[in-house]
Amino acid sequence: MSPAVLAVIFIVLPPLLYVFYTSVYGPPLSLAAYGEVLTSKLFRQTLSTTLIIASLSSLLSLLLGFVVALHLARQPARRRAILMLLVLLPFWTSILVKCFAFTVILGREGIINNILSWIFDAKVQLPLVLNLVGLLVGMTSFLVPLVVLPVLASLVAIDEAIYRAASIMGAKPPRIFWTVTVPMSLPGVFAGLLSIFVMSLGAFVVPALLGGPQDQMLSNLVDFYNREVLDWQKASAISVVLFGMVLVFAAPLALWRRRKV
Amino acid sequence: MPGQIDDPHSRRYRALGTGLAVPIYVFLLAPIVVTVPMAFGPTNALTFPPASYSFDLFRIFFNSPAWLGSLFESLKIAIATTALAMIAGTLAGYWMARHEFAGKGLVTSMIMSPSIVPIIVIGLGLYLYFSYLRITGTTLSIVLGHVMVTLPYVIVMVVAGVNKLDRNLEFGAELMGAGPMQMFVTVVIPQLVPSLVSAAFFAFLLSFDEVIIAWFLAGPNTVTLPVKMFNALHWEISPVIAAVSTLMTALSLLVCIVAIGLRKWTPTDV
Repeated sequence: MSPAVLAVIFIVLPPLLYVFYTSVYGPPLSLAAYGEVLTSKLFRQTLSTTLIIASLSSLLSLLLGFVVALHLARQPARRRAILMLLVLLPFWTSILVKCFAFTVILGREGIINNILSWIFDAKVQLPLVLNLVGLLVGMTSFLVPLVVLPVLASLVAIDEAIYRAASIMGAKPPRIFWTVTVPMSLPGVFAGLLSIFVMSLGAFVVPALLGGPQDQMLSNLVDFYNREVLDWQKASAISVVLFGMVLVFAAPLALWRRRKV
Repeated sequence: MPGQIDDPHSRRYRALGTGLAVPIYVFLLAPIVVTVPMAFGPTNALTFPPASYSFDLFRIFFNSPAWLGSLFESLKIAIATTALAMIAGTLAGYWMARHEFAGKGLVTSMIMSPSIVPIIVIGLGLYLYFSYLRITGTTLSIVLGHVMVTLPYVIVMVVAGVNKLDRNLEFGAELMGAGPMQMFVTVVIPQLVPSLVSAAFFAFLLSFDEVIIAWFLAGPNTVTLPVKMFNALHWEISPVIAAVSTLMTALSLLVCIVAIGLRKWTPTDV
């Protein structure tokens, strides 16, 4: 059965190696594409946008995801299983469906603007989509279900006896929250935060459909060089940089998981 | 909080937790809640709630050769991907779970890499590699790309399933004279059915919903439903998309129910 393992490796490796190969072999063999990419203003701008949006959306998603995970962790097992459906259904929903829905919800003639128009009895047309707001809303909707699962796992793992002990010793709920719940959920929080940050670094669909022209991320730049500029060497060089960034952040996650296993 | 003394004070904090969580549940479900009614709305405007209800948008979808063609293309690709990923993933996963060897960590991380590497990098790599092999734009190329990204999840689920099995049954079958293949088919596979079913549904949904790889590899005759939808959302949003979204959500719901029924929430650790 080891041929199956070999076959898997032969399916997985060539495309990745091909990106490295294309990035350094124009021909001739050189690192020129990297030099040009790293010094270009467009790349630097996109890189900082990527880092800013990935950080903002992961932190926001962690905050919302933590609230949901905490709520789920405090339900009796049976009700938790039912409520999980509210997290799992969005988890399995296509990102395109979400992007479509948020264009309708946030658009100039969208649901939010209509409600605001009705409340203030005036025509409100806030720009909520095709800009940073729309992008963050879309990213958050995508990332929250992903971060709920690891955080929930570490919250559920906390021994109930600790809560009971804290409570008997006279600690009030806020104190129990900050001295028991938060510290003991940190492993799940870090794992969840790192994995959604890594996911959001490579975001493509959400910035393309909900972000504005100035909110495009590295993945969109790769697509731009591949499709519009037809410069595959630069597209590959940007991909390798993106891959490197992901590795830097995914490595601690992998090490941490291995230690746990 | 379970196990805590139930005084009014802690009840108030529990209400606070619920109060904070409910708007987030609403936010998470909003896309579905908004899309589904609009799919049954009128054909000329995208408003919520719809002014009138009908099946017109579904009728448009099922009478449009372009949309229907992309639906069939997606189904074809998802079925082929599921079949290939299940065969390769079951064999490889079983082998990985039952064997220790030097460099296992390296092999594991190579096999798992498509779940960490940004999909855009895989998409570009596949596009460049398949251009070299001259198979871009074919259904086969998209299937191979999807097999690559679904395999890690199938393998994780198979490994998790195999780790729960009693190995002595396998030894017993081999002692009684079963060959490795006979043992695998008659002893291992029947016990793995729940893992395999949820892995298959998951692989199908991953492939059916996948946009980026299909976006890089699609030719004029191999436009999948998500790629067509991505294009439509990019250039002009038509009400038909609400019907398409609802069909996709129905599929997600089905997979979700199967996954919960089989008590496998999501593939997480190896």
